[in-house]
Amino acid sequence: MLKLGGRVIEIKGAQPATTMLFSVSTNKLLPKVLKESKAYLVDEMDVPEDFAHYLILDSKKDLIESIPPGSEFTILPEDYAYLGNNDVIRLSSDRSSIRVLFRETASNNSILITEQCNHYCLMCSQPPKAHDDSWIIEETFKLIPLIPKTTKEIGFTGGEPTLFGDRFLELLRYTKSELPITAIHILSNGRSFKSEEFSKKYSEINHFDMMVGIPIYSDDPAQHDYIVQAKGAFDETIQGILNLKRLGQKVEIRIVLHKQSITRLINLCEFIGRNLIFVDHVALMGLEMIGFTRANLEELWIDPIVYRDTLSEAVGILAAYGLSVSVYNHQLCLVNSDIKPYYRKSISDWKNEFAPECAGCKKISECGGFFSSGIQNGYSKNLLPFQ
Amino acid sequence: MSKFQPLASFLSSHHEYKLLPFKFEQLNDQDYVLTNLTGDYLSVPRAQLNRIVEHQVTPDEPIYSDLRSKHFIYEPNDIAPVELLGLKLRTKYSRLAEFTNLHIFVVTLRCDHSCPYCQVSRQSEDKAAFDMTPAMADKALDFVFKTPSKAIKIEFQGGEPLLNFEMVRYVVLEAEKRNAVTQRELAFVIATTLSLVTDDILSFCRDHNIVLSSSLDGPEELHNANRPRPNRNSHQKFVEGLNKARLALGFDNVSALMTTTEASLPMVNDIIDEYLRLGFRGIFLRPLSPYGFAIKTKKYRSYNTQRWLEFYKEGLNYIIELNRSGVKFSEHYTSLILTKMMTSTDPGYVDLMNPAGLGIAAIVFNYDGGVYASDESRMLAEMGDQTFLLGNVLVNTYEEVMLSDKLLDALEESFTLSVPMCSDCAFEPYCGAEPVYHHAIHKDFVAKKPESEFCNRNMSIFKHILGLMHSDKFTKQLFLEWSTRC
Amino acid sequence: MSVTTLTFDERIYPVDALQKAAYRFMNLFVVDFSIDKNLIICSLKPTQNSSQEGMDYHIDEFKKEVLDQVLRLKIKAETEDVRNLILGIAFSKSGFQ
Repeated sequence: MLKLGGRVIEIKGAQPATTMLFSVSTNKLLPKVLKESKAYLVDEMDVPEDFAHYLILDSKKDLIESIPPGSEFTILPEDYAYLGNNDVIRLSSDRSSIRVLFRETASNNSILITEQCNHYCLMCSQPPKAHDDSWIIEETFKLIPLIPKTTKEIGFTGGEPTLFGDRFLELLRYTKSELPITAIHILSNGRSFKSEEFSKKYSEINHFDMMVGIPIYSDDPAQHDYIVQAKGAFDETIQGILNLKRLGQKVEIRIVLHKQSITRLINLCEFIGRNLIFVDHVALMGLEMIGFTRANLEELWIDPIVYRDTLSEAVGILAAYGLSVSVYNHQLCLVNSDIKPYYRKSISDWKNEFAPECAGCKKISECGGFFSSGIQNGYSKNLLPFQ
Repeated sequence: MSKFQPLASFLSSHHEYKLLPFKFEQLNDQDYVLTNLTGDYLSVPRAQLNRIVEHQVTPDEPIYSDLRSKHFIYEPNDIAPVELLGLKLRTKYSRLAEFTNLHIFVVTLRCDHSCPYCQVSRQSEDKAAFDMTPAMADKALDFVFKTPSKAIKIEFQGGEPLLNFEMVRYVVLEAEKRNAVTQRELAFVIATTLSLVTDDILSFCRDHNIVLSSSLDGPEELHNANRPRPNRNSHQKFVEGLNKARLALGFDNVSALMTTTEASLPMVNDIIDEYLRLGFRGIFLRPLSPYGFAIKTKKYRSYNTQRWLEFYKEGLNYIIELNRSGVKFSEHYTSLILTKMMTSTDPGYVDLMNPAGLGIAAIVFNYDGGVYASDESRMLAEMGDQTFLLGNVLVNTYEEVMLSDKLLDALEESFTLSVPMCSDCAFEPYCGAEPVYHHAIHKDFVAKKPESEFCNRNMSIFKHILGLMHSDKFTKQLFLEWSTRC
Repeated sequence: MSVTTLTFDERIYPVDALQKAAYRFMNLFVVDFSIDKNLIICSLKPTQNSSQEGMDYHIDEFKKEVLDQVLRLKIKAETEDVRNLILGIAFSKSGFQ
């Protein structure tokens, strides 16, 4: 698992109590005008001049002598050896810390724009915080221009990104103009779109490829409301989905599979086929053992092998209705082979690992593996390597 | 860290739910089936039905969740159920706005077969008497392109259309010419026995994407008995024609329909085997034709219905077992009904539509220029009853035909949601108005449904299908796949 | 075959429900209706399609059908408003397409 943020060993030369965003560069040949806003990742003795900041891994500490005198620099722990050209980082001088906000080589990049949320899902992997964190969305406006324009797709997540209303829409518009060929994937509970006005403004952004991923955990409104811990959530979420589809916007339905949502998964898939057939994609996702999941383990944990047939039946129903379906975050030995056409090797590269039991498995390259949190916090006792 | 609330705190307090519009029918000895405006269904024990209507079901019961999710009840603050029902209903009726799609051109009555159940064909060489003229075809095409429908299907029937292939050619070329301007999705079908198919005919069909629809009543003996021809070789000619046509047009571009007669009734599995043998991937188990037989008594009619239902159930069962053993084969009538049960799409099958498909879904231009509201309407006329003759292309305008009292009365009076029994029936979303049949047998567009074999037969089929849906997971999944293929 | 008479208190059974039940059973009985103060009297005369043995069973079924029709009327009355709302949404000019 990649470490995406934490303390650095030292930041030298920067203004006190400042936060700086930098695009990382390994390119010596950049013209001066471009160097001036980037941080150079020092690799060997021949260090180019005129960069705004220099990054040196602890193991290469002796290269400090080679950087231009008087320059700002940061000494990074070895955890950050993966950094590369065009990655974007935030350095905080008062907290002596780094946060990696964008990685060019990542399979997908999600930008967290708030930790505030109007839901409190039993299995939330990003537990909400109530205080005002609008500085994050403001910083995102500064982050967007640093992202390479060739990026295929970025995600906006939270918390609930739409809580910022018009400011969030402005961010989307801004992203569209700064990154005109980059697709956008937004994770949202969809409730803000219950407002026709908000949905209309969203649709008027007229983005070439923008999709909202909206969770529905049950066909029973009461059970869905319980899982997201918000009364009235289901009803508003559906209204939001309908408004978005009326305006021709892309919608994906996301279902996290756990002990609660499994009970009515078949009913939910029938409900989607009957009522929401026009959605663009349905994602069935394995549980992440992180955040609130650990507090609610008793209610949530179920060994995927126990629900393998239910999963097959669910996928069968969605596929029969002609919906586009994907199954994410499951291990191959715990699902039936009939879902192979829909199985995605999907866990973000910074999150995934394999268990010791997986040694020697013939299908390890086709399998998505585990969330690192799963390896740490608990996984199926029924793993069986393929011979 | 805040506490998590238990499920109980998200359930509403008792007796708060409201009913959404629904109907019900007895399904079997224990259960009733509920259906709502859009055909969503749920089967419940009879005792529960009362509790549901009396607002006695409590939110902690599993049936409460099912009723809410399938849109039979809702809670006072819910907005989504009403919106979703409105949306589903709109989708269900959206075909109405498209208006007439199927246009049947009867290019000749002449035929090389003399099937006893056929009301229309003539054994004759007299082209002048029994062939459609170009003048009629031109006027008919005027009518065709007046429809707002984005998709137009032109089907050639007869007699045997290939005996007047010059007219088929004429209509196809003319239609394509006109379509260059209006840009509809144009499709052509020829209903033919395949006995007279030639290389020239096939290359024309290939060049203009015309598909063929033929008749296969069953194994050779049955087929030939049903469909007499000089040399008694209808089946053999069919197979020869089938192979030639498939080669020229593509395997799936030749389909087959069966006609069910008395002789067919004991041998449904053999008929299905014959379809399998010849590579077809499905069959349409059609009802016995009510026309042409002098069926006078109610008893005889209902006896026939019972026998046909056995035929259908046995055949369907065999087909399900075929699928279970890995053979992909479907039954078409069941699939049409399943589409109405499992989705909000109307499959557009003329005989199962409400309002009736007469004129507004399908229309027939006869060899003499007569305009008929449906294929059955034409057959009725050949038997002497002109009730559904709407006009003549050479004499009447489009408006005179489509707005005629004859058509509008039939549509209005047979509208299922207004007539006795149908308006209360739980199966109404799956069924249709059938004014032509009811007029033919009962002299009434509506008839008394308890006496109607159309009603009897369909109700049995609906109950049977619902029963099968719950019988096992394999059948349920199979039926779901059939339902979305239409 | 003999005529069976059933009486229903019109304060409990709407006459609509009785008439609709009679309609459904027209193959098996012809029903004559008359009224005496608060009582609706139904005379069930078997048609040629029914047999004497089956009569008891059919009469029980008729009574059950009457109850079903009462329930149907209740549902219809209660859901009239929301039905019109749904139809209004379905046939409105705005929205999908």
